[in-house]
Amino acid sequence: MTTMQRELRLSLNQTQRVRLQSALQQLEEMTSLASAITVVADTIPVNHEDSILKGHGTSDLNGEVVATLCGVVERVNKLVYVRAQRARYKPEVGDIIVGRVIEVAPKRWRLEINFSQDAVLMLSSMNLPDGLQRRRTAVDELNMRSIFVENDVICAEVRGFQHDGSLHLQARSQKYGKLERGMLLTVPAYLVKRRKQHFHHLENYGVDLILGSNGFIWVGEHVDMNGENHILADQVSREDMADKSCVGQVTQEVHERITPLEIRTHICRVANSVRVLSALGFNLTVEVIVDTVEASISLNTDIKDILAAEFYVQTAEREVQRRVSLSRKKG
Amino acid sequence: MASLKRSAPEDSSPELSPPSKLPREASPVRLDEPVACLHDVSYPSGYAPPRRSRPATDKPSPPAREFPFELDPFQSEAIKCLDCGESVMVSAHTSAGKTVVALYAIAMSLRDHQRVIYTSPIKALSNQKYREFKEEFGDVGLMTGDVTIEPNASCLVMTTEIWRSMQYKGSEVMREVAWVIFDEVHYMRDRERGVVWEESIVMAPKNSRFVFLSATVPNAKEFADWVAKVHQQPCHIVYTDYRPTPLQHYIFPSGGNGLYLAVDEKGKFREDSFQKALNALVPAEGENKRDNGKWLKGLLAGKPREDSDIFKLVKMIIQRQYDPVIIFSFSKRECEFLAMQMAKLDLNEEDEKVNIETIFWSAMDILSDDDKKLPQVSNMLPLLKRGIGVHHSGLLPILKEVIEILFQEGLIKCLFATETFSIGLNMPAKTVVFTNVRKFDGDKFRWISSGEYIQMSGRAGRRGIDQRGICILMVDEKMEPSTAKLMLKGSADSLNSAFHLSYNMLLNQMRCEDGDPEQLLRNSFYQFQSDRALPDLEKQLKELKLERDSMVIEEEDSLKDYYNLLQQYRSLKNDVRGIVLSPKYCLPFLQPGRLARIQLVHDDKMPSFSSEERVTWGVILNFERIKGSADDRRPEDANYTVDLLARCHASKEGGMKKSIKIVPLSERGEPVVVSLPLSQVDSLSSIRLFIPKDLLPLEARENTLKKVSEVLSRFAKDGVPLLDPEEDMKVQSNSYKKAVRRIEALESLFDRHEIRNSPLIEQKLKVLHAKQELTARIKLVKKAMQSSTALAFKDELKARKRVLRRLGYITSEDVVELKGKVACEISTADELILTELMFSGILKDINLEEMVALLSCFVWQEKLQDAPKPRESLDLLYSQLQEIARRVANIQLDCKVQIDVENFVNSFRPDVMEAVYSWAKGSKFYEIMEIAQVFEGSLIRAIRRLEEVLQQLILASKSIGEVELESKFEDAVAKIKRDIVFAASLYL
Repeated sequence: MTTMQRELRLSLNQTQRVRLQSALQQLEEMTSLASAITVVADTIPVNHEDSILKGHGTSDLNGEVVATLCGVVERVNKLVYVRAQRARYKPEVGDIIVGRVIEVAPKRWRLEINFSQDAVLMLSSMNLPDGLQRRRTAVDELNMRSIFVENDVICAEVRGFQHDGSLHLQARSQKYGKLERGMLLTVPAYLVKRRKQHFHHLENYGVDLILGSNGFIWVGEHVDMNGENHILADQVSREDMADKSCVGQVTQEVHERITPLEIRTHICRVANSVRVLSALGFNLTVEVIVDTVEASISLNTDIKDILAAEFYVQTAEREVQRRVSLSRKKG
Repeated sequence: MASLKRSAPEDSSPELSPPSKLPREASPVRLDEPVACLHDVSYPSGYAPPRRSRPATDKPSPPAREFPFELDPFQSEAIKCLDCGESVMVSAHTSAGKTVVALYAIAMSLRDHQRVIYTSPIKALSNQKYREFKEEFGDVGLMTGDVTIEPNASCLVMTTEIWRSMQYKGSEVMREVAWVIFDEVHYMRDRERGVVWEESIVMAPKNSRFVFLSATVPNAKEFADWVAKVHQQPCHIVYTDYRPTPLQHYIFPSGGNGLYLAVDEKGKFREDSFQKALNALVPAEGENKRDNGKWLKGLLAGKPREDSDIFKLVKMIIQRQYDPVIIFSFSKRECEFLAMQMAKLDLNEEDEKVNIETIFWSAMDILSDDDKKLPQVSNMLPLLKRGIGVHHSGLLPILKEVIEILFQEGLIKCLFATETFSIGLNMPAKTVVFTNVRKFDGDKFRWISSGEYIQMSGRAGRRGIDQRGICILMVDEKMEPSTAKLMLKGSADSLNSAFHLSYNMLLNQMRCEDGDPEQLLRNSFYQFQSDRALPDLEKQLKELKLERDSMVIEEEDSLKDYYNLLQQYRSLKNDVRGIVLSPKYCLPFLQPGRLARIQLVHDDKMPSFSSEERVTWGVILNFERIKGSADDRRPEDANYTVDLLARCHASKEGGMKKSIKIVPLSERGEPVVVSLPLSQVDSLSSIRLFIPKDLLPLEARENTLKKVSEVLSRFAKDGVPLLDPEEDMKVQSNSYKKAVRRIEALESLFDRHEIRNSPLIEQKLKVLHAKQELTARIKLVKKAMQSSTALAFKDELKARKRVLRRLGYITSEDVVELKGKVACEISTADELILTELMFSGILKDINLEEMVALLSCFVWQEKLQDAPKPRESLDLLYSQLQEIARRVANIQLDCKVQIDVENFVNSFRPDVMEAVYSWAKGSKFYEIMEIAQVFEGSLIRAIRRLEEVLQQLILASKSIGEVELESKFEDAVAKIKRDIVFAASLYL
């Protein structure tokens, strides 16, 4: 627990400290850490009579299986692997991630995604702004900066590792791509668990929430995607306007619109809730985040006070209650 | 369908659709050309055509490609659609020239710097098309499971499976492809692979356009409607059943000497000539000729004195200059046998022989010396030199290709082929012969369907060379003119969905954020077709309801009451009878001579409603246990039949079958001994007659029955004494007693029922019964409607997800777990079993060769009759595999997935384990051919598939981070990928 308090860097008064400590204590008791935790070079006990499969984070040393990572030993049938406790993000095919463009390179953008290497988004791995299905030309390559430039925040899907070991991303549909009018938060990647959905539209607040598996979280104004019709209509209108550089116009129009104050406050509130939860080391799911936001509203907590000591303690206590009720349900 | 606008001209408002797209029947381009094609468009609901403000003065852009010949109407019609940038489905015969449309689409895409994908169902076809396109356009690449050439080319030729997996993986091609060409799209009805087409079409990029090339299908419109709905874009249909060269259909009766014209080139069926042909059919002089399975022996004429039919026929064809000829038969062995019959024929000149030899050896050049000595290779050349070829899937791929080339060059005059030759590349002959009119389809022999006939006969007639194509049907048994007509002139098979779920599909769908298996199901052609059926069902329902309501019955309520009582009474009676006459009690009383009361079978389905049942009497002669039911059962549980002497009326039906009906004793009929199931015996009397020992003479039987009549008349007053169930037969079960008590109660109720005495009660009851039946039918229809409004496969989807959860492939929230990710990678073999096998560690334990041998069980499907068991170590592995398969199958069964466990377990065949083992050890191909008694081509195909599986396993082990296993798979690939098995295709 000391680590957590160190990270929190909060000025708690005496009662708050006691409350927080007891809440965290309770949480710790509830989570059974029975599964074996190893450190690097620990021998992982296996039954050598069976054949075993050595997965990630393991290695063979003098006939013994040893861990090469600190973490939890996981077993699936005969496969043994170590899941790192707090590591950088480790991409898997199909993950939804949020990243920041750090370089525009030939036919590709390089993105920082909190992985041990930069990810690559190929020009060919995303839909062209005109929505046409065609080969990428040199002109497209020259116009890459009109799509993304350095420091843009992008949402994409992990496509896989290429043969040279580089990580490639893709933007399957229109809902991937540049993210604007919002905040990017970075949390430890392990707090975001893989779910069926990573895109969330918080309708009550008019806010989009994207929980990137890499620990980058986007909170921004809701963009109406309205499916394919939107794109089709777009395409048609563009065809109408023929070659008049309509793309520029459209983007300009967008820029002229201003996010209303209300939405901006909502964005901040959601963002701060995420900050609290991540500082406390709780898993970030949309339910928990919405719950926290609602609590902050019902408690009349100011946006800035969400990050204050009292709300931290309350959030921790609420989490205790939530887990208690969960375990009761199960029991 | 309501959601789809029917595109008949009257309801697509003219201002909405540009005139060029108005559906219409294309008028023939030239008057002397009788070739018309049908052109129709399917619009998605609510579709507004984009207003292309292209001024009329604007010159139409020049065609993307000019052809050196005049286009047929259907071709130019289809190309017009392409020029508008809209999808098109072309449905025409194989030889009609659909490729032109594909070529145009490719040329167009290349012009516009777009990518174009061409998919075909078969690797060989992809190879051939690749070559064709490569010569034509240059910028062409090829991707099949075996080879990848220039994957960055603008035009990519691939198999449909590859295209599907590219879509799942989100290849960049998906964002650049403007046109997707699906060749032979009628493959969609293939039971095993058809689903791949549906997946690929549903998942295809939203803004791409399609060209579907298909054989003639009657429901092309339905297919286009589906595409229009799924992709929200108009889809044109261009349909023609025009053949560039008309066909004549002849019949060659087996044993006969001549050809009889059955259908002339105008499509007229010649009844008289057909009858003549059948009369000329020499009745099989053999014993086994009638037997379909062995007809071959007859055909082969194991008698040296006479030439076999096929020899006579081929000779005749050559004499009449009907060559080249393709002779279709339905099995590989048959093909080879028939070709061997031609030993005496030599159809080629000397210079042709030299030519063949050069082509042959230059093709075989890529083989190693050892492989050149393979019997299949060395035996083939003499045959080819005489102008005779064989073509089936059991051949070495390279031989198959050489033969195709030789055939195209006209150096093979007579080609024996299986059905596979009828799909794909344009390789026509003047004449097509069918050696049999029946085909074995897995479990029985059946007539060739008209669709198959159309496909195969499509090979007859070379465009521009022959005036007409000739089809010859060898008939070896009588067939009805109607059957023949149906086969020769029937319509093409319609395109029906063969959709089914697979775990790999589900996992891949669940893995990506947008993916949703339910969405796929909702968009499937299967769902579309069943939605279509809905209005029909509704109509049916309405009619049934109307009919029911039109039946008015007086006093319906009380009548119904009575009816219900009757039903109850009847079922109780049946119960009692069932108990009394269960083998346990009645077996001791089934002695010969005992009189038994028999229930009469009503043929009019309308039960009588008097409480009297229609019965008659007969004499028991014997009883027998039905064989086939498991023999280890106790005697009282088995089923029995009783042989009875009774008066019967025998009627002949259809000349073939005699149907025997038991009639009451007083009626006319013959005394016949019949076997009846025990359930038809109503009750047993306590009387036994003496029966003569020999019942063969008619009088003896007649006399016995007379005695029965006498007995009956003697007891006419108070009925024939029956065996008392309790006293005589010692029936002592509670259920019996209960049932008897209830019957008594019911009987008293009957007496009190007043309606019983009303006149015409019988008729009234009949009407009521009819009404009840209608109600039941309405219920059925309603149920059918419900199941088609509900999402098809919904239950199965649930069940399969349950399986995945149980096995730990996905979490309860449908997030794909580690095991699921492994299974995602495996698409060419059973993904569950292979994943389980991998996670069980077996693959890691064993040495490389054993592993390869074990994996061969996944890719070998043919069942060999007398394959020797593999060596012990391999057999052990095989049984481990079976164990896993059984476990997984049982889990599936538990989760309510329909599966036959034993069948599933046995679908993994160990037959080629030994051969593959020694192939991995480094043996020569001729050596492993000695081990496995299989066709060369089949084994090669299996090993190639095995390599594909290994590649997928490499990816899978990469994803779990197991490095040793990964390198083991890589080594395995290196070990098996060599020599003749992976010899490059001649087309590349």
